[in-house]
Amino acid sequence: MDNNLVQIALQNVNMWAIMPSLILICFGMGLLLINVFLPRGTTKHAVWISLIGLVVTGLFVFKGWGDPQYGFNDAVALDNFAAFFNITFLVAAGLTILMSDEYLRREGYPVSEYYPLVLFTTAGAMWMASGTDMMTIFLGLEVMSVGLYVLAGFFRNQVRSNEAGLKYFLLGAFSTGFLLYGIALIYGVTGSTRLTEIGIYLNAHTSLLGNPMTLAGLVLIAIGFLFKIAVVPFHMWTPDVYEGAPTPITAFMSAGPKAAAFASFLRIMEYCFFSLKPEWTAMLWVLAVLTMVVGNVIAITQTNIKRMLAYSSIAHAGYALVGMVAANEIGYSGILFYMLAYAFMNIGAFAVLVLAGKKGEDNLTLEGFSGFGYKRPFLGVAMTIFLFSLMGLPPTAGFAGKFYIFAGAVKAGYLWLAVIGVLNSAVSLYYYLRVMVYMYFRDPLEDYAWVSMPVSVVVSIVIAIAGSLYLGIVPGFVMELAKLAVF
Amino acid sequence: MINTVDTLPAFPWLSLMVFLPLSGALLCLLHTRSERDCRWLGLTVAVATFGIAIWLFLSQQPNASGWFCVEDIEWIGRFSIRYNLAMDGIALVMVLLTTFLQIVSMLLAWPVRRHVGLFFALLLILESGLLGIFLAQDLILFYLFWEVALIPMFFLIGIWGHNRRHEAALKFFLYTLAGSLFMLLAIIGLYVIHGDQTGHYSFLISDLARTELTLRQEYLLFGGFLAAFAIKSPLVPFHTWLPDALSEAPAVGSLDLTGLLIKTGVYGLIRIAFPLFPNATSECLPIFGTFALVALFHAGWCAYHQDDIKRLLAYSSISHLGLVVLGLAAWTFTAWQGSLLLMVSHGITTGALLAMVAMIRQRIATRNLQKLSGLWAQAPCLSALFLLFALASLGLPGLANFSGEILVLIGTFQTRPIWAIMGIAGVVFAAAYMLRLIQRVLWGEPTQAEVADLSPREWLILIPLAILTVWLGIYPATFLKPLETPVLLALGGLP
Amino acid sequence: MSSTTGSLPTTAPILFEDYLALGIYVGIALFLVAILLLLSWGLGHRTRSRIKNEPYESGVYPTDNARLKGPVPFYLVAIFFILFDIEVIFVASWAVAYDRLGWAGFGQVSFFTLVLLVGLLHLWKTGALDWGPSAARQNRKNQDIP
Repeated sequence: MDNNLVQIALQNVNMWAIMPSLILICFGMGLLLINVFLPRGTTKHAVWISLIGLVVTGLFVFKGWGDPQYGFNDAVALDNFAAFFNITFLVAAGLTILMSDEYLRREGYPVSEYYPLVLFTTAGAMWMASGTDMMTIFLGLEVMSVGLYVLAGFFRNQVRSNEAGLKYFLLGAFSTGFLLYGIALIYGVTGSTRLTEIGIYLNAHTSLLGNPMTLAGLVLIAIGFLFKIAVVPFHMWTPDVYEGAPTPITAFMSAGPKAAAFASFLRIMEYCFFSLKPEWTAMLWVLAVLTMVVGNVIAITQTNIKRMLAYSSIAHAGYALVGMVAANEIGYSGILFYMLAYAFMNIGAFAVLVLAGKKGEDNLTLEGFSGFGYKRPFLGVAMTIFLFSLMGLPPTAGFAGKFYIFAGAVKAGYLWLAVIGVLNSAVSLYYYLRVMVYMYFRDPLEDYAWVSMPVSVVVSIVIAIAGSLYLGIVPGFVMELAKLAVF
Repeated sequence: MINTVDTLPAFPWLSLMVFLPLSGALLCLLHTRSERDCRWLGLTVAVATFGIAIWLFLSQQPNASGWFCVEDIEWIGRFSIRYNLAMDGIALVMVLLTTFLQIVSMLLAWPVRRHVGLFFALLLILESGLLGIFLAQDLILFYLFWEVALIPMFFLIGIWGHNRRHEAALKFFLYTLAGSLFMLLAIIGLYVIHGDQTGHYSFLISDLARTELTLRQEYLLFGGFLAAFAIKSPLVPFHTWLPDALSEAPAVGSLDLTGLLIKTGVYGLIRIAFPLFPNATSECLPIFGTFALVALFHAGWCAYHQDDIKRLLAYSSISHLGLVVLGLAAWTFTAWQGSLLLMVSHGITTGALLAMVAMIRQRIATRNLQKLSGLWAQAPCLSALFLLFALASLGLPGLANFSGEILVLIGTFQTRPIWAIMGIAGVVFAAAYMLRLIQRVLWGEPTQAEVADLSPREWLILIPLAILTVWLGIYPATFLKPLETPVLLALGGLP
Repeated sequence: MSSTTGSLPTTAPILFEDYLALGIYVGIALFLVAILLLLSWGLGHRTRSRIKNEPYESGVYPTDNARLKGPVPFYLVAIFFILFDIEVIFVASWAVAYDRLGWAGFGQVSFFTLVLLVGLLHLWKTGALDWGPSAARQNRKNQDIP
C-alpha cells in the first residue's frame, strides 16, 4: 500500500466536519444502551435524552456557522448550507419527539427504541445535507431511509402501519436502485464521485454533455431524489405511507427527510450539473407544475385530514421545486427558508392531529372536526394559524416562504410558472378552508371529552406557532441566514 | 390651501392607531369568559382609536407633499421591505370613516350572544387590517393588511351568518383571495422589474411609481392589481360575491363589508393602481367608465327586483360604487373629490340602513319586502330615521349622498358629457328602488300587532349617523378640504 | 472525428466500433442460450401424463404442508451472523495497515468496534440471543407490549 496515500487520507479526516451528526449518533447509541437496562415501557428518559442530544447537536451546528469545515477528502462539508438544513432537521426531530411520547402511549406502543431511531434518521438526514460526494450522500440516504422504514411500520400489529412500512421500503429500495445506477453511470462518464470534480469535468468536456450516458445518469439520479421528495409522478407511495405511519412520523417525514432530499438534490444539481442547467430546469419545470396541480387537485377530494395533509405536502414539494427551477440565488435560498417554515407549520398541524385523534385515529375526518374550535379553543387557534400558514397568508411563515420562492421564479423570468403556482395556492385555499369551516362553522360534536392536553405536545405546538409567526412577521434575520447559506 | 409644516410628529401615532385594536383583540381572545368585559373592551378600544384619528385630524398639518404623518423603518432587509405607514388627506378621511363606523359596529354588535369574545376580537382585527390598508405605503405591508382584513370577515360571515353562511363565506373568501394572489404576483413582478432597472430594490409605492415600463408590462401588472381591486370593489362583472356575502353576513358584518371593506378596492385603485401604471390607466379609463355605467344600470335594475332588503342594499352598493368609479374615470378634480366624498357618504348611509335592517329584523324577524309593511304607524321614530337614511341614499339634496353625486356628475360633465347624462339617468334608478323600499317598509297596513320603537342603544347608534348624514349634505367642505392636495397630486400624475 | 492527441479518449464521440465487441458478445451469448434450449427441446424425450406432473415422479406421494415452520431464533441468528460477519471486513482492512494508520486509525476502528458492541449488548439485553421456549416465554412475561 502506498504510504503517502494513507497519510493523505488521515490528514484530511477533520472530525469537526461530522461532529454534529457524530454527537447525535452517540446520543442515539447511549440511549439504546440505557433503554435495555430499564424496564420496558419507561420512555420519559428517552424523550429527555433525545431532546438534550438534539440541543447539543444544535450547538455544534451553530458553531460551524460561518466557519465551514471540510473533511474526509472533501467528501463531507459542514458549510452554511448544511448548517441551515441541519437546523431544519433538528427542529423537525425535536417537535416530533415532543409529541411522540403521548401518542405512542395512547396507541399502546410505549417503546423507547423509537427515539434512537428518530435520532439516527436525523443523523442520516444531516449527512445527506453535508455530503459533497455521491457516496456520502448515498450513505446518508440509506441511514435515513432504513430508520424511516422501521418507523413507518412501527405499529407492528396495525395493518395500515405494516402496509406503510412495506410500501415505503419497497418503493424506497426501488428509488435507491435508480439513484445508485445513476451514480454509477456518472462515475463511468467522469471517473469521480466527488461532486465538484464531476462538475468541473463535465464543464471542461462539453462534448460529454450530450452523451446519453450523462443524461441517463442525470435523470436516474434525479428520479432517485424525486421519489424521496414525492414529486409527481413519483408520489404514489406518499398518501398511503403518510396515512398509515404513526402521526408524529408522518409529520417528521413530510418535513425532515423531504428537506434532506432537497438538500442533496440541490447540491448535486448545482455542483455536478450546472453545465446542464437548461436541461434540468426544463425537466423540473414540468414536474413542478404537475406536482402542484396533482397534489392540490387530489387533496380537494380528501375527507381524512391526515391524508389531505399528505396530498398537500406533495403540493408543497411542488412549490419548493419552483425555487429549483428558478435556479438562482433567491430561488435556492427560498427553498432553504421554505423547508424551515414548512417544518414548523406542517409539524404543528400534525401535532394538533395527535391531540385531536382517538386511539386508532378513525375520527380524523372533516366530520370529526365539527365545532372543534369551540370545544378546544387553543387547539382551534393553533390549527387556524397552521392552516393559514399552509395556505400562504400573511403574516405567517408560509407566506414569507412562498413569497421568497415566487420572487425567485419571477426574477429568473419564469412568470408563467409563478402564475401557475399562485393559481394552485388559490386551489389549495379551498381544502384548507374546509377544515376551518368544519372547525368553526359547525356545531360541536358531543364526544370531545377524550382530548387531553399533555404538556409536551402543547409545548411542541407552542414552539411551532412561535416559529410560524416569527418566520412570518420578522423573517428578515432567517432570510439573511438563508441567503448566506447558499453557495 | 392648507397651511403646511416642515416637520411631522415623531411619535408613532399611526402604529398606535393600527395596533391598538389588534392588542384589544388579543385581550378579548384571552378573556372570552366574561362577555360583558369583551363588549366594553371592544367599545373602549374603538372609541380610543377614533379619538386618535380625530386628534390627528384636528391637530396635524400636512407637509408640502400632503402627508400628515409618516413612519418608516426597515422591516425585512433581505428584500428591502419597509414598515412604512403614512397618512395623507385621502387616507385621513378613510381612517375617520373606518374608526367611526367601527364604533357603530361595536354598538350594533351588543346583542350578539354566541362566542362574544371571538366576535369582538374579529371586529377589532378587522379594524386593524382596514386601518393598515389605508395607511401602508409599502406594497408588501399593504398586502399583509389586505389579507388581515379578509380573514375576520370570513369568520364573521361563516360563524354568525344566516342559513347559507358556509357557502357565502367560502365564496367571499375564495373570490377575493384569488384576486389578491394575482396582486401579489404583480407586486413581485413590478419589484423585480424596478430592481433590475435601477439596481435599487424597493416595495415603496413612491419608488415603484418611477419605474420605466413598456406598455405591455404595464398592462400585465395593471391587470394583476386590477384583479384584486376590481373583485373587492366590486366592479361589474366581478360583483357576484357581494349580494351573497352581504345577505348571509350578520348585521355587523354586512355593515363593515359595505361600509369599509369594499372601499378598500377603490382606495387601492386610487392609491396604487393608477399612480403606478399611468399609461395603462389613461388608456383604460374609457373601459372603466363603460363598466361603471353598466354597473350603475345593471345593479340598479337588479336592486329594483330584490325582495330581500339586504340584497337590495348590496346591489345599491354596487350601483353607487359604479358612480364612484365613473367619477374616477372622468379624471377631473371635481369628479375625484366627488367620488371620494361619495365613498364616505355611501359608507355612512348604507351602513345606517343595514343597521336599521338588523333592528327591524330583530322586531319582525324578516327582511322580505313582501312581508314587511306599515312600520310607520307602529314605530314612528325608527321609521323616520329609516326614511332619512333611505332618502339620503337616493341622493336627496341636502343629505349625504347628494353632495358626492353632484360633484361626480359635474366633474364628469367637464370631460365626458355623455357619461354624465347617462349617470344622471342611473341615479334615477336609485330613486326608483329606494322609493319602492320606503313604500314597502313604511307605508301600508301593519303586519304585526305591536312593534317596539327605538331603544336607547339604538338611538345612540343612529343619532351620530343621522348627524353625519346631514352634515355631509350641508357642509361637505369639512371632508373635502383634506382631499384637495392629494387629489391634485394624484391627478397630476397623468401625462 | 476521433481526437488526434489521444490524451482523453472519453472526449471522442461514441463510435459504433466501441460497442461492436459488446454487441458481438451479447449476440454470441444469446445465440448459445438459444441453441442449447432448442437442442434440448428438439432432441429430448417428451411424455405427457398425470404422473409426469407430480412433484416426485418416482411415485412417492408428498405428505404434509409444504410450508415448514422453523423456529424464529434460526433466522435471527442467521441475520446477526451476517450483520457482525460483514463488519469483520472493515476491521480486516484496518488490520493490514495498522502500523501506518497509527493511533488515529486505532481510535477510529475502536469507535467502530464500540458501535458493534453497543449493538450486541442491545440484542443481548432485549433477549434476541435467548434460545428456547422457556426463555422467550419468560421474556414475554416481562414485556407489557401487546
